[in-house]
Amino acid sequence: MSVMQNNSEKAKWYLPGVLGGLGITMKHLLKNLFNRKKMMTLNYPEEKYEYSPRFKGNHVLTVKKDGSLRCTACMLCATNCPAECIKITAAEHNDPSVEKYPISYEIDILRCVFCGFCEEACPVDAIRLGPEWQTPGVNGANFIYDINHLAYRPTLRGGIQTHVDDEERHKAGI
Amino acid sequence: MPKCTINGKEVEVKEGTTIIKAMVDAGERIAHYCWHDGLSVAGVCRLCMVEIEGNPRVQIACNTTITEGMKINNTSEKVKEAVKWGLDFHLINHPLDCPICDQAGECGLQDQYMEYGKYDPEMAEPKQKKKKVVDLGPTVVLDSERCILCSRCVRFTEEVSKTNELGIFNRGDRSEIGTHDGMPLDNKYSLNTVDICPVGALTSKDFRFRQRVWYLKDAETVCNGCATGCNVKVYYNKEGFFRVKPVYNENVNGYWMCDEGRDIYKFVNRETRLLKAQVRSNSGWSEMPAGAAAKHAHELLKTTSGDSLALVLTAQYTVEEFDAIVSTFVNEFKTKKIYFWINNKETFDNFDGILLRGDKNPNTKGLLKVLEKHGITATWNDLSQGLASGAIKTVVVAGPENQAVFPDFHERVKELSKAQNLIWLQAGKNEALMSLTGNVWLIPMKTFVEKDGTFINHAGLEQKFKKVTTVVSEALTLTEAALLMSGKNLAIPTAQPFLPLNQRPDQVELEARKKNEFVFRRGSL
Repeated sequence: MSVMQNNSEKAKWYLPGVLGGLGITMKHLLKNLFNRKKMMTLNYPEEKYEYSPRFKGNHVLTVKKDGSLRCTACMLCATNCPAECIKITAAEHNDPSVEKYPISYEIDILRCVFCGFCEEACPVDAIRLGPEWQTPGVNGANFIYDINHLAYRPTLRGGIQTHVDDEERHKAGI
Repeated sequence: MPKCTINGKEVEVKEGTTIIKAMVDAGERIAHYCWHDGLSVAGVCRLCMVEIEGNPRVQIACNTTITEGMKINNTSEKVKEAVKWGLDFHLINHPLDCPICDQAGECGLQDQYMEYGKYDPEMAEPKQKKKKVVDLGPTVVLDSERCILCSRCVRFTEEVSKTNELGIFNRGDRSEIGTHDGMPLDNKYSLNTVDICPVGALTSKDFRFRQRVWYLKDAETVCNGCATGCNVKVYYNKEGFFRVKPVYNENVNGYWMCDEGRDIYKFVNRETRLLKAQVRSNSGWSEMPAGAAAKHAHELLKTTSGDSLALVLTAQYTVEEFDAIVSTFVNEFKTKKIYFWINNKETFDNFDGILLRGDKNPNTKGLLKVLEKHGITATWNDLSQGLASGAIKTVVVAGPENQAVFPDFHERVKELSKAQNLIWLQAGKNEALMSLTGNVWLIPMKTFVEKDGTFINHAGLEQKFKKVTTVVSEALTLTEAALLMSGKNLAIPTAQPFLPLNQRPDQVELEARKKNEFVFRRGSL
């Protein structure tokens, strides 16, 4: 690292610099006092920032039209996960057209780095990163999210529907 | 011995060799589905196209024998185009359910598509829908949609197992694999059809959906299911062992193995194992580390005089271990009362003509050899008499690893429990052992995947195998147990000098790694 030093005569006078800085502070103080609506800071948690719809927050498992999980337990998300926070247990489904489904899907949210690789790896649009980002918990709270939380938590109002529908695909002859 | 040129390389082959065999032997890559070295040639997949000089059209390599001076090449654009559009036909009705399919990661279609395909499909018609999850028998599940009708499984039941259960039914794009009514795929080699299926059409009920194949590591070892000693690959990860597949060995098992042998991973896993030594005295059971229990047993053994001490061996351990424990007993404890516990005596010499043998121990020959070397001639009757008369007070038993093949287990436990002191060395848990009374030492042993060693199979062939991984780190080998019981200490192995990365024997070439991280150790299709 190199340090640049200004050794000119002008730089030896520090008082103008201090006063200039004080001026800026006073300017902002007065601006915020008389024009509070344009203030840059938020009064969190009463006020919250609106992030873009592409924000990567807490995971959501999508559901099919009948409300069952879209996930086929292919484990691509778990394979792709750099933090290794996804744990899936697959099982055989009674319906041969479904064949495989997860009996447990757990995300250790404290290990998750919210990179969104799981979303990108998913071939059937079963996992998405949602807009939620405030997930506080008191002592002893469970930060390993299971299917119940990921797909059916109250804020999702019965589940988010997936885009990929097998029946429609099969009707189209794929 | 005709000479030919394969992709510019001079090769000399045996009379009557097919092109594909010569290419596979020479290490050339060639696309194929229906051809399998252990089966007859069908020539149905039309993927193994090669260009032969002087021949205007590409030809299939599996059904063309090599003649003198043939110039073969499969790297030209013409061949690649032929393979590519051949693949398109295979994939017309193939569903895109790789996420669900168990074969994903070791699938011939995936490999071939990435290597030769990468086309945009030009089929406008909707896909033919067929049956999914068809129950073929007690071990195998069929998915007709995924099947590409290579007929490998049909030929297997025809030629190898000779049971003829499978066949191809219907015509054209409606044709599918199936069984006849009332004739399920139920033979002792049925799971080989799963191995040779190049796609995910046939899947094993046992392994289905339990793990993704790319989470599994594999290592070669020798099956300890019976005296044949098939060469196998075990697939495992940190959660345990998941499946067993055969490895080609011309002298032992060829390409196949039996269904019974595929269950050998089950008694290796932690949930069936004895994790800590259990020692029973007058005050009841107490838990101990394995090594400590063996030392504790030494306190007893050093006071036992030669004739009241007996050793019972099952033929489930390696030659090295037998040698160590027998020589300890002969030289240190001065006893020649060493007995061979023969399980299922009546069916010992059975053989079904393919691989399965009635002798369900991997190392009977090895044990007999060691006993002969030390001049031991004792028979089980001596032991029974000794136990009944009370002459034998202390018995050390090297119990079976694979308890399923010891139908006389409970009976023998009852007989041996007549001894005052019973030192039972065994890998697996067993209720019968825990309900014993008297002085008992239960010491956990290592299984065959956790140690180096040698098995001698029914034909006297010595097969060395290497340690795969450790499941129960505390467990002892028979060698270690013999050392500790005779009052010696274990030599701590000196740390292996660190090898530079480029000298490690398991080093994977960078090229192969780049090509496909998951496939590089699977070998050819």
